[in-house]
Amino acid sequence: MNWKHVMIVFKKELKDIVRDRKTLFTSIILPIFLMPLLFLLIGGGTEKMSEEMTTDITVALTADSYSEAAQWFLKESLETQDEDITIIEPVADPWEAINSKQAKLVVSLDRDFKKKLEALEAFTLKVYYDGSLSRSGGAVGSLMSAIDKLNEGIAVKRLEAMGINPQILTPVLVETENISRTGDGNILLMMVLPMLIAMLVAVGGIPAATDLVAGEKERMTFEPLLATRPSRMSILMGKYLTINLFSFASVIATLTGMLLAFFINPDALSMGMGEIGGFNLDTGTVILCIAVTILLGMTFSGIQLAISTYARSFKEGQTYLSLLMFVVIIPAYATMMVMPNDIQLYMYLIPVLNTISAFKLVLGGLTNYTGLILAMVTSLVYVVLSLLTAAAMFRNEKYLFRS
Amino acid sequence: MLELNGLTKRFGNVTAVDNLTFTVQKGEIFGLLGENGAGKTTTLRMLATMLKPTSGTARLAGFDVVRSPEEVRRRVGFLFGGESGLYDRLTVYENIQYFGELNDMHPREIKKRIEELADIFDMKDFLNKRAGKLSKGMRQKASFARAIIHNPDVLLLDEPTSGLDVGAMREVQAFLKVQKEKGKTILFSSHTMSEVEKLCDRIAVIHKGSLVDMGSTDELLKKHGTQTLEDLFMGLVGGSK
Ligand SMILES: Nc1ncnc2c1ncn2[C@@H]1O[C@H](COP(=O)(O)OP(=O)(O)OP(=O)(O)O)[C@@H](O)[C@H]1O
Ligand SMILES: [Mg+2]
Repeated sequence: MNWKHVMIVFKKELKDIVRDRKTLFTSIILPIFLMPLLFLLIGGGTEKMSEEMTTDITVALTADSYSEAAQWFLKESLETQDEDITIIEPVADPWEAINSKQAKLVVSLDRDFKKKLEALEAFTLKVYYDGSLSRSGGAVGSLMSAIDKLNEGIAVKRLEAMGINPQILTPVLVETENISRTGDGNILLMMVLPMLIAMLVAVGGIPAATDLVAGEKERMTFEPLLATRPSRMSILMGKYLTINLFSFASVIATLTGMLLAFFINPDALSMGMGEIGGFNLDTGTVILCIAVTILLGMTFSGIQLAISTYARSFKEGQTYLSLLMFVVIIPAYATMMVMPNDIQLYMYLIPVLNTISAFKLVLGGLTNYTGLILAMVTSLVYVVLSLLTAAAMFRNEKYLFRS
Repeated sequence: MLELNGLTKRFGNVTAVDNLTFTVQKGEIFGLLGENGAGKTTTLRMLATMLKPTSGTARLAGFDVVRSPEEVRRRVGFLFGGESGLYDRLTVYENIQYFGELNDMHPREIKKRIEELADIFDMKDFLNKRAGKLSKGMRQKASFARAIIHNPDVLLLDEPTSGLDVGAMREVQAFLKVQKEKGKTILFSSHTMSEVEKLCDRIAVIHKGSLVDMGSTDELLKKHGTQTLEDLFMGLVGGSK
């Protein structure tokens, strides 16, 4: 291999591919604009949803259980507990009312509730909600806590009337404190970002890889190139570097897109789930994480180069390489919900999963040097194996001159 | 300049080239004549070090194609007929420049040489146009220029005139004559007898991978008592069928 030749091939491939608008668009331009759009849309959507569930909760009595006393009781006891709750006019059909957006929830009361209340007996308040509508199903929680407060208020009054200390009702006082070292908003980022980065690094080189060998074979430019002075390995390395560059460029483009989304609307990335922050800035972990990511890109560039060399035509190359995309996407999605403390050791040994795990550690503020170093060492082995495979394909005239 | 000794290539059960032996002298235009599937392309690919011979040897300027492939490639200009093999997204200039760089030429040398070639091939008007936007004749000129940018001693041309119109074909033939005068050794394949007859000093007729006969046009015609190469070819090939 001659590095001068490698760089000549690399520079030419870069120039050639940058002039190919299709490849440039799918691997660089699209992610930059798609990401903010995606996050703003989804983020905006979930924000709106959670707002719908907690504000302006309209509650109606059923016409069957309506009485002036009941209406008055609800207004007096619930609206005062939660200012977002409004009691509206009674409705005939709960489903109708909820689905026509008249009310978010419908309740019915025992007809003799007042008598029971005065007799210190329990009466039933039945809540109708539509679980298939988030605005209704999600509002149940707010109503429930209002009713809990109501119950407590009534009980306290009764006990005081009997001269008993109301604290008798609450032997255990509960206090909670969130001691998470990372922002609550990181959870979503921990699920999405590692998956996205690993997937992009693994598939970002595909358009370039398809074009660089299968495409060259099809356009009949490959044979003249092979007849020039450089060794096949120099040509292979030049193409390999180009594919690598594209797989990393697509990640950088995507991250740029996400930053853009963050600047447009800081809540978009967390999708309204809280603050983002408190990442692990332990230098060793971050460096290992980046190293594992780069090695993943190199491994997949090698695999893509091998596949593109094996393919008879551009179309065939595209088909094989889109299958490769599935091989990457499936494990990536499967581990989306895995949280940093749940990462199993084996995940560090598997390409794609190793990168996802490393990023989850960084975002979750944790570290695991055993896992990361294992990931690093095995990744190196994968890089070598994939390059050797590509080289074997490239040396094999059976694959180079198939037609 | 070119020595083939028992050169053989098998693809599985198919023997594409079978025990070819011949020598081409420096400054000679040598024609490889054969029908479709005779093994012409395979022979040229072995000489250009792209395919490894199954057995036998070939030497180019004294270098063995298997043992010193890089030494062989730096002395070879290789060209396919039919397809020009240019990079469509690069300009003609960039296409030629790329091959100059790959052949370790100095940038200044490349520039000078491209100007020279642009003159010879009358390419000045489209030198800075993208190759994908050119006509077939222009592309053919550009790929000729690219194949000889590094001033190779040997030209390996696989059906260089296929798909060209008569005018373009004449230009190619004129070009080959000039190259011969410059002392280049040219091996070119064809299945058009008239072309071979006009251009070649000597001809090898191959059929199903084997050498059927070899000699100058006159020799072959005399030996077989036929009037035209066409008849000669049909006689030879027909006889071996
Ligand atoms: N890569 C390959 N794999 C398998 N068989 C091949 C391969 N290349 C050529 N062949 C076979 O070898 C034989 C010779 O092919 P070759 O292309 O050398 O002939 P040719 O004289 O150039 O023909 P044409 O005039 O059609 O170009 C044919 O039977 C062909 O099918
Ligand atoms: Mg051929």
